[in-house]
Amino acid sequence: MNRKSLILLISFFSLLFFQIFVFNNMNIFGFVNPMIYIVFLVIYNFDSDQTLFILICFLLGFSTDFFSQSGGAHTIATLTMSFLRPILIRNSYGVTSEIPISFHNDTRRINKYTFLSLLFILHHLIYFSIVFFDLSAVHLILKYTFLTFMFSLTLSIMVLNLYRKPNDS
Amino acid sequence: MQRIINALIQYRNPILYFFLMGCSILFLTKKSKYHKTQLEEYGMYVTKELYDINHKLSNYFKLKKKNEELLKENKKLRELYLKSKSLALYPNAFAKKKHFPFKLKEANVIKNSFLNQRNNLIIDIGTSDGIKSDMGVISRNGVVGIINSVSKNYSSVISILNQDIKINVRLKKSNALGSMFWRGLNPLEFKIDDVVDNVSFKKGDTIITGGMSSYFPYGIPLGEIVDFESNSQNGYYSIDARLFEDPSLVNYVYVLSNEDREEILKLQENFQNE
Repeated sequence: MNRKSLILLISFFSLLFFQIFVFNNMNIFGFVNPMIYIVFLVIYNFDSDQTLFILICFLLGFSTDFFSQSGGAHTIATLTMSFLRPILIRNSYGVTSEIPISFHNDTRRINKYTFLSLLFILHHLIYFSIVFFDLSAVHLILKYTFLTFMFSLTLSIMVLNLYRKPNDS
Repeated sequence: MQRIINALIQYRNPILYFFLMGCSILFLTKKSKYHKTQLEEYGMYVTKELYDINHKLSNYFKLKKKNEELLKENKKLRELYLKSKSLALYPNAFAKKKHFPFKLKEANVIKNSFLNQRNNLIIDIGTSDGIKSDMGVISRNGVVGIINSVSKNYSSVISILNQDIKINVRLKKSNALGSMFWRGLNPLEFKIDDVVDNVSFKKGDTIITGGMSSYFPYGIPLGEIVDFESNSQNGYYSIDARLFEDPSLVNYVYVLSNEDREEILKLQENFQNE
């Protein structure tokens, strides 16, 4: 087991832990609980095998659901994002340009934040759509998605800074 | 087999994704009653729509058969209707020992002319269906004509839009008899002669068949009185009538066969011989 896998393994459990015990109980404005565990989908290497990635993400979502007693919404949203990640990467870094090996291996800042925003907003949209699961609650879904997205993105950028190597820009 | 395995390996990610998605949805429905009912509702909606489409399509393709069925049913109802209308002449029509000589047979109109002074129709039943000449032909809402000649599968009908035909009619309220014939222009406009001067009626009164001929039973509504004037010279009214249904537009007709026709003709013959 090399160093990268070890970091991923530790991240998996620590993100899960913080998500369940810290961020799920924040209740900003009474309802906003930022979702931090999606950071795992960002730090996982872009060029690695997707089959394993989908399985791990399913496990991640499933564990989050299991420990926060929330049906299957986290699972479905995370699973879908893991499946769609290559498309998002291609679209945010440019279809023709070179795709980086991992998130921190690249200096193109705008592309980085596009990828992050797309990942988070889609995840949140799917998550809240499944939580409400009602066509008449569209405005509620959008409101929850937007507010949670703001907090999740800010906190995730902070968390992602922890992964940066000292010599990175 | 190799190909199937290759395809499976090639599409392993989508397959895995949809498999795990199915698992999650199962998990979701097991855990949350709300999502279960909601999913069932959507499922119900989709199946309902599908069945709706299926129903509409199959209904459309069954239209022809349905049409035939309805025509048959209509025939039965019309027979009853005619019976009930003719109670005045055949009071025992509904009784146990009923005697109502008219029987109906449904037919499609194949050709219908209305531009000439002497028009005729062709219908798609003939001798093989028991049709003979001199039978009456009626439609949903009035009289169409009288069978003229019959071949094996088709019959030609002299339309009432023919200035040679006179139909025996009655004014429904006063029961006065008259004879109606076409004026030759508008297929709805008819003229009634031979109504005696001493009966009273007004515009809008209904005209029915008279029952005095062997072609049509008593009481089929034909039209209404539009205008009339009394012709003081010969003591008869001259009445303008308007039909309820345009005989040039009918598609389905019923042929009336009168079982007693031979009997009546024989009596008439005797009468003439004497």
